[in-house]
Amino acid sequence: MTVMVTNAEVLALEAAPAQGKTRATATADVPERRPAQAADRAAQPVLALSQIALTFGGVAALRDVDLAVAPGEIRAVIGPNGAGKSSLLNVISGLYRPDRGEVWLGERAFAQVPTARLAAHGVARTFQNLAIFKGLSVFDNVLMGLAHRVRSGFLRQIIGSPLARRIDAENRAAAEDVIGFLHLGEVRERAAGTLPYGLQKRVELARALVARPTLLLLDEPFAGVTLSEKLELSEHVRNARDSYGATIVLIEHDIGVVMGLSDRIAVLDNGSKIADGTPDEVRADQAVIDAYLGVAHQDITELAV
Amino acid sequence: MSAAPSTAQLLPGAGAFAITVGAAVAFGAVPLLGSDYLMDAVLTPFLALALAAVGLNLLTGYAGQVSLGSAAFLAVGAYATYNLHLRLPQLPLLVDLVLAGLIAAAIGIVFGLPSLRLRGFYLAVSTLAAQFFVQWALTKFGWFSNDNPSGVIDAPVLSVAGFTFTSPAERYVFSLSVVVVATVLTQRLLRAQSGRNFIAVRDHELAAKVIGVPLLRTKLLAFGASSFLIGIAGALWAFAYLRTVEPAGFNLDRSFQILFIIIIGGLASLRGAFLGAAFIVVFPLLLSRAGAALLGGVFDSGVLEMSQRIVVGVLIIAFLIAEPRGLIALWDRLWRAVARPAAIRNT
Repeated sequence: MTVMVTNAEVLALEAAPAQGKTRATATADVPERRPAQAADRAAQPVLALSQIALTFGGVAALRDVDLAVAPGEIRAVIGPNGAGKSSLLNVISGLYRPDRGEVWLGERAFAQVPTARLAAHGVARTFQNLAIFKGLSVFDNVLMGLAHRVRSGFLRQIIGSPLARRIDAENRAAAEDVIGFLHLGEVRERAAGTLPYGLQKRVELARALVARPTLLLLDEPFAGVTLSEKLELSEHVRNARDSYGATIVLIEHDIGVVMGLSDRIAVLDNGSKIADGTPDEVRADQAVIDAYLGVAHQDITELAV
Repeated sequence: MSAAPSTAQLLPGAGAFAITVGAAVAFGAVPLLGSDYLMDAVLTPFLALALAAVGLNLLTGYAGQVSLGSAAFLAVGAYATYNLHLRLPQLPLLVDLVLAGLIAAAIGIVFGLPSLRLRGFYLAVSTLAAQFFVQWALTKFGWFSNDNPSGVIDAPVLSVAGFTFTSPAERYVFSLSVVVVATVLTQRLLRAQSGRNFIAVRDHELAAKVIGVPLLRTKLLAFGASSFLIGIAGALWAFAYLRTVEPAGFNLDRSFQILFIIIIGGLASLRGAFLGAAFIVVFPLLLSRAGAALLGGVFDSGVLEMSQRIVVGVLIIAFLIAEPRGLIALWDRLWRAVARPAAIRNT
């Protein structure tokens, strides 16, 4: 079994060269058949926000926020409570309609992202409070991540037409792959609601990854998990980028985890973006220290670790 | 890959064996050996209610959409079958049955539209509209009951390809065949992506939407398929069991009865629907026999009837406190207790 997983990882690595690893090596790995397009993709952000503004009954949640996320990047968005982090993620996934501004997913611009078509646009997300399907088994939860690919109608599913069976077999193989990748094989038949919290988080990650999204949004993935689970989970997040080629935007409170994991960090305070750069730049940024770290002193010690 | 071995795997062939024995008993031994009373007053209504419960369980247990309008769809199925048989006599009965189910499904989809905006109790209240509207329409418009002044319809004789089902045993076999086929098809639907979509919408609607589950289509499919099954159950109830039907027989009490069946039997379980239906049909019969035998000389039948309802109600409450997941959870626990030591001994 271990051998199988390793093979799958290697295969996945080879399958996703354009977005795999870091940006520096990505250019070297570009397939030679379509160099022009690959170059475009490197230049074209996977996700771009321009001048996003959002208010709730006169209270500004987001003030003219710009953000550009390059392919293959792990981008953290941090900020104190109420800074607008979750609002930002909800704007990207179309749950909120911004008052102004546009969301660019690859080459398409949206005033409001159509949530129902999110998966079809190659975007997957997780939720801050677990959003797994408690009554389904782990395997079926993962399979649900491919729901948008099932084009066969219910009558075809009942009689088991060739189309329905082919889609089913493809989806099961993809789910099997992710289950092995995230080491969920032991619990694959368990009802997801009966698992411990950390495992449920991993099931949610598996469900988001199974469709091989180009953009993966993680809403506080490390909230409420133990330290050892945090390390494990951040390893999984990194692997998700490296092996599955997903560009990752994650919202996080725990600065320690974010510093080690992210390529770039954007800092929100009171709805505005006050800093955006590499972990080292953000760490040294005076505005960040004043607005965010200066307020919560215990976070400084965490940062020093 | 490394799934925990189930009892079916530990005892190979046990599942197929159980199904064969069950089929032999249900289709062979029971009609041959059972009394007319057993089949007419117990098994046939049990089958019709079980199918209705399968239908409601699909909607409420699996897809999480609460409905109090089940009896309305029973009535639609019964009256649609009657009218199709009366007005299009050239159609075979089985076609009537399927068409009646489709008519019930169409009405179910219409009354399911509020589910796109309403949830929980609010949706339950809106499904009451179906309950009252259908009963009102069937009473108000004489056309539905062929202008019978009291709205009562007499069932035609059940006949498929020249073979008639008149005796209690024949009507039982007819009901059993319909219920088995409908349940197998439902099981296949629930095990496919559509079934997973139902549970996803029930457990976390927002996550389901983000993943790309078509909410509108999933909810309306749940309402349509559920009403289809309940409509066919209504036709069985009317033509295999009662053989004479009036709109008042499909009142709110009936809707509640079906809801209780799935709650007692176990939500989101087809086997639970059958267990619950058996409980609801058989238990009052047993209780009234016991009551009549023990206290028949002391109280009159009216008092016994009322006290019997009280006992049933108290038992339901006590039972649901002890096992909120219904009879099926109890059954599975007992089964595991019996099967696991046996499996360990065998290995």
